[in-house]
Amino acid sequence: MQEFLEFTLGGISFGMIYAAIGLSLVLIWRGTRILNYAQGAMAMFTTYIALIVINHTGNYWAGFFVALAAGLVLGAVCERVVRPAEGKAPLNAVLVTIGLLILLEGLAGIIYGGQFRSFPAAFSITGLHIGGTALGIAWNDVFVAGAVLAAALALAVLFRYTPVGLRMRATAFNSGVASLLGVRVGRMLTLGWALAGLIGALAGVLVTPNTFLYPNSMDSIFVLGFTAAVIGGLDSPAGAVVGGLILGILLNYVSGYLGSDLVPIFGLAALVVVLMLRPSGLFGATATRQV
Amino acid sequence: MAELPDAVGEPAAAEAPTLAVEDLTAGYGGVIALRGVSLSMGQGAITAVLGANGAGKTTLLRAISGLVRVRRGAVRLDGTDVTRRRPDDLARAGIAHVPEGQGVITELTVEENLRLGALCASGRTSRADRSAALAQAYEQFPALAARRRKPAATLSGGERQMLVIARALLARPRLLLLDEPSLGLAPKIINQVMTLIAGLRQSTGLTILLVEQNARSALTIADQGIVLAVGKIVATADAATLASDTGLLRHYLGL
Repeated sequence: MQEFLEFTLGGISFGMIYAAIGLSLVLIWRGTRILNYAQGAMAMFTTYIALIVINHTGNYWAGFFVALAAGLVLGAVCERVVRPAEGKAPLNAVLVTIGLLILLEGLAGIIYGGQFRSFPAAFSITGLHIGGTALGIAWNDVFVAGAVLAAALALAVLFRYTPVGLRMRATAFNSGVASLLGVRVGRMLTLGWALAGLIGALAGVLVTPNTFLYPNSMDSIFVLGFTAAVIGGLDSPAGAVVGGLILGILLNYVSGYLGSDLVPIFGLAALVVVLMLRPSGLFGATATRQV
Repeated sequence: MAELPDAVGEPAAAEAPTLAVEDLTAGYGGVIALRGVSLSMGQGAITAVLGANGAGKTTLLRAISGLVRVRRGAVRLDGTDVTRRRPDDLARAGIAHVPEGQGVITELTVEENLRLGALCASGRTSRADRSAALAQAYEQFPALAARRRKPAATLSGGERQMLVIARALLARPRLLLLDEPSLGLAPKIINQVMTLIAGLRQSTGLTILLVEQNARSALTIADQGIVLAVGKIVATADAATLASDTGLLRHYLGL
């Protein structure tokens, strides 16, 4: 029972990171029907930027917020790079985003070198206890979960209650009709990528204290984030968060009970199983949509 | 005539027609679907565009609203040349295009669809204006008010048509382009929609270009009709004259 509690709580923290990557993929998929293979690499790149700022200023939060801002800008820039592939055969966009992935990882190698660097955590990583019971999480895990949850809620409010959010959703669902209603569709797509870049950057700075930073450091996180998004249905921001949580907790059980070597295999197995059994995900709105 | 909708910029000349289409040629890829079409509509006019399938009716609307590339000719709104401007730009400038059969964003609620219409006029209206207009739309269309929080996908065909028209009006257009508003509707509902369109002109002085398969219904509410065949205008006349010209209607429309 004690172990079960530890593994569950610890899983939530990992799950929220997968949720953040999943959310960033959903933001782009909804608007452009493009799966952004470069999402992990973008997050890796902004985490390097965070590290440089932290090393120069000695202030974690300066690096944190500069990374988020850099994610916003990098997302917008990447949208402009990918734009010629929007609305074309899906393979075009796949190639362009994989190209971006290789470009960013290559650039990171050239600029920062290939060695593993440690990245600081925002808060203490010593395990918390209630009475004599270890919870399996630290304050930093609470911060990770809280930060992603806050970002997800902020996005929900943006989409649900603001004019720009309404325009973005209209663009995602039916860009042709949206443009006839005066919506600047291109601008909404750029904004969607920018927000995805921001959420991805958040995931990068949150996960890297656990993994070290190197040019490929986000590759496996990207795969798990993608799995989270697929579990949720790729079209549903809430689905991505739920998918991330489910995946994070399940994989933490695997890691805890069976051994951490098995996590990547189970992560991929989860992806295959979901794609076989429920390709439109748990929140599968895709079935009712004309693509 | 009642209160006029907000004007878009300064008219080039006081008596410039609301819509002037001059020698318009447009098409898709290598196919020319519209050849040298000209027409002019004054404030508050309703013109019916008739013709067989593939005659170029929809292309005419799409060229005016910027969805199809104009090869030659010009489109003027209140005397201002708006040829080749982007659809979203034209929408904000006062051209409301209700496309055939697919104008509702089904994933959004009824209210969200309407709010998008109101937001389209946000450059020209205040926030208070927009919420007043929304309230007014619900008064005018009680069926929509009852379902404001429901996804638009749950509406019937007639209700959807009401929704897209109400949404277009919330954009405070100068010119309303309606593509087959009666498509797929029961005859009784078609009459309601036509009455609604005629009422719009009465109450708002809106200028309406109406594409319809259902020529008889359209001509009952239009002042003027034009008949297109293979992308060209083959007849222009006032609506009553066209409606009584059974030979012409049979020849071009198979009626």
